[in-house]
Amino acid sequence: MSGRAFGLTFLSRYGFLVVFLGFFIFFATQSDAFLNTSNLVNILEGNTILLVAALGMTLVVASGGIDLSIGIAIDFGGWLAIVAMMDHDVAWPLAIVVGVIVGAAVGAFNSFLIVWLGVSPFLATLGTFFIGGSIQQIYTSGGGQVPFRQMPTGYQELATGETWGIPNEILIGAVVLFVFYVLLERSIYGKRIHAIGLQPSAAAVAGINVRAYLWMTFVVASATASVGGIISTAGLRQFTPLAGFSYLLDAIAAVFIGASMHPQQRPNVGGTLVGVLFLGMVSNGLNLMGLDFNFRDALEGLVLVGAIALAVSQRRLPGRVGSPA
Amino acid sequence: MATTADSNSNALVMSDISKAFPGVQALDNANLVVADREIHGLVGENGAGKSTIIKVLAGIYEADHGSVWVANEQLEQLTPQSVHERGVRFIHQELSLVPYFNVTESVFMAQEKQGVFGLATRKMRRQAEDFLANILGAEIDGRTLIRDLTVAQQKLVQIARALIDGQARLVVFDEPTAVLGAADINTLFGNIRELRNSGISIVYVSHYLSEITEICNRVTVFRNGVDVDTIHLGEEQVNGAGNVVSGAANGSVRQAEIIKLMVGREITDMYPESQATPANTVLEVDGLSDGIRFVDASFSVRAGEIVGLTGIIGSGREALVDSIYGQRRVSKGTLAVAGKPIKLRSPAQAVSAGLVLVPRDRRNDGLVLDMSVADNVNVATLEMVSSKLGWHRRQQAAQRADQLVEQLDVRPRRSDTIVRFLSGGNQQKVVLARWLTTDSKVFVLDQPTTGVDVGARSEIYALVAQLAAGGAGVLMSSNDLAEVLGICDRVLVMVRGRIVAERETSGLALDELVALTTGSALEGVEGVAS
Ligand SMILES: Nc1ncnc2c1ncn2[C@@H]1O[C@H](COP(=O)(O)OP(=O)(O)OP(=O)(O)O)[C@@H](O)[C@H]1O
Ligand SMILES: [Mg+2]
Repeated sequence: MSGRAFGLTFLSRYGFLVVFLGFFIFFATQSDAFLNTSNLVNILEGNTILLVAALGMTLVVASGGIDLSIGIAIDFGGWLAIVAMMDHDVAWPLAIVVGVIVGAAVGAFNSFLIVWLGVSPFLATLGTFFIGGSIQQIYTSGGGQVPFRQMPTGYQELATGETWGIPNEILIGAVVLFVFYVLLERSIYGKRIHAIGLQPSAAAVAGINVRAYLWMTFVVASATASVGGIISTAGLRQFTPLAGFSYLLDAIAAVFIGASMHPQQRPNVGGTLVGVLFLGMVSNGLNLMGLDFNFRDALEGLVLVGAIALAVSQRRLPGRVGSPA
Repeated sequence: MATTADSNSNALVMSDISKAFPGVQALDNANLVVADREIHGLVGENGAGKSTIIKVLAGIYEADHGSVWVANEQLEQLTPQSVHERGVRFIHQELSLVPYFNVTESVFMAQEKQGVFGLATRKMRRQAEDFLANILGAEIDGRTLIRDLTVAQQKLVQIARALIDGQARLVVFDEPTAVLGAADINTLFGNIRELRNSGISIVYVSHYLSEITEICNRVTVFRNGVDVDTIHLGEEQVNGAGNVVSGAANGSVRQAEIIKLMVGREITDMYPESQATPANTVLEVDGLSDGIRFVDASFSVRAGEIVGLTGIIGSGREALVDSIYGQRRVSKGTLAVAGKPIKLRSPAQAVSAGLVLVPRDRRNDGLVLDMSVADNVNVATLEMVSSKLGWHRRQQAAQRADQLVEQLDVRPRRSDTIVRFLSGGNQQKVVLARWLTTDSKVFVLDQPTTGVDVGARSEIYALVAQLAAGGAGVLMSSNDLAEVLGICDRVLVMVRGRIVAERETSGLALDELVALTTGSALEGVEGVAS
């Protein structure tokens, strides 16, 4: 490998981490508050919802699909959990289960469209996105908030409480992260999902039940995203219709930033975490600097394009063109 | 070893070509000299560097050093365009066609014809169909999508694409016959000879040494990235009438010589002794029809038996294999594995019933190209390398892969290589390795030795014989009739969607089997292709 080739490989794999660090140092020098422990904890805490949504997305993208309805799962999960408590006096732990099941149901609807009807994941989840948005508007009289002031403290503490001195939100994020790491990177199910994503025909011939796996993938992704919705309603003590949408593009961005760091450009759990933290750090930093929040989107766009261009440039290195036979 | 363009009449001189990939020296000062109006063979073990030198010529890979003359003109910078302009055409080993293009679009890709009103679609379609029918002997509708063609038909489309503009001066065939049936191979050979007679030089890469000795004038043998020798094979001469008179009567002697150069040792018994002591029936196919490609297929395979299945393009053999594995819908008929009927719905069901497939299209169906050798070897049997709950035991997985890589002599011997970068024959070994240590009852092998070198082929035959001896039933679908006769105990012959003959292979002559596959030996069944 030539020096240039090595440099490029290094850049494409770790270049993003360098950018990450660069921004970190930049914010640290620009704002005194940035490096405060409480601010750093804030970044972690404030991005748990994005993290769980992005993890679900990682699973879907690894299987070769995309889920545009992830925001719907977030909305429905949180919404129906508080509806269960408010209108049906369901105990709060059970309400969480209700929320997750509703999220899973959103995923099952996607699976039905994709696996049974053969609609492409893009179109199927786009459909779910529109339908889900419409349902929310119908039942909240055009998108009015659903407040729930008498929320059980147990439920509320999902977002505001602490356990062993660690904010519950961070703990929840860590648990989901761990589960996904084991699922996608260390279990044979993850291996199969990667195989399906890379080459579905070969996975099928190897005897993998591709339909069953795709089915599960969308269900698990939505169920996970609904956890984000539950945390969101717990923190705000209300449900804001259509709020989940704001996580969709960030989740996709985080997944692809993460994939660009993988030697084979595959979506992976560690990379997604880095992507989420980066996006969280940038918005926090810009905020502290008093800069226009809208800069963040532009920065995110630049970083995404940059990371992917680097990853692709590595594929153009000599000796990696085409393929032998 | 010719190293310079000493003769004026060379169509191609490649001298001192080196090319390294990370961890592999694919070419190491290799030479290839092709004279004018010559059919020049190129042989060598899997991974010897044949495809690599061809890709260097094609401008796909940039050589680390070396020089190239085409028609006595030195080319400084090889790009796909510059070699194309000089009339060099390639029929690459892998099918590089777009699945959702139709035949016409594929033949004319990047060489489209303009009419007065935009693309001359009709004209192109007519030309493509004519070329395929008249020159290559295949009736294919120009509007058919590539994905709906058989692999063999796709090969013909690929050939048509290279030759249709009539500008070819030097044509390189990289293992063209691997997917073709005997009759189609004869047609192809006729075409190759005609090309040569019209003044075009040919480079012909193949693992079938009988083909090499049959049509080549000279052959260059590669080993580990070096050309070890170039041998004359007795000039073929063109007599006054334009017919070819072959001068090489001593084909098999020459083949043994080539093999020795290729692998550095002699291979005496290509095929293991048959030791079939067939026991109970493990695969029972009864009245299977898909309503389109094959009808009423009935046969059985017993434990310990190797049964061949053969037939030319369009005989329905491929479709039948796909259906047996649950990849194609059937309209009628039943299938039972070890006495238990199974529903033909998905490969997953077939696998769990104990029926496994080594698919013919290894690059699409056999391998996840971007995964490592270890992952590909283990992907079908991940339970064997995991805890009960599904925790992937990587070390165990790597060990299992290492063992299989060793056993099958996959090169390079590293189970962490990405499969995409293995040579064709080594990729095939990886697919085979996958099922070897499973206790499956029926192995369906579809063209298992396509693109596999002689040495490895004899190893694969030994493995297949071992599988059978171990109590599995093997159904081997193949268009290589010598192989079918050599390894199978029985053979089923398909013609036009029907199994028209079933024969014991002992005592069956090759000619007789060829006649069966073309249908000419049978009353009441019309001959298909000639
Ligand atoms: N793009 C690549 N990256 C890495 N290694 C490669 C690449 N292309 C080829 N190789 C390696 O170079 C060697 C030569 O491969 P090549 O494809 O030329 O073999 P071959 O003679 O055509 O074999 P086969 O008969 O199996 O097709 C092999 O070891 C192969 O693994
Ligand atoms: Mg090759």
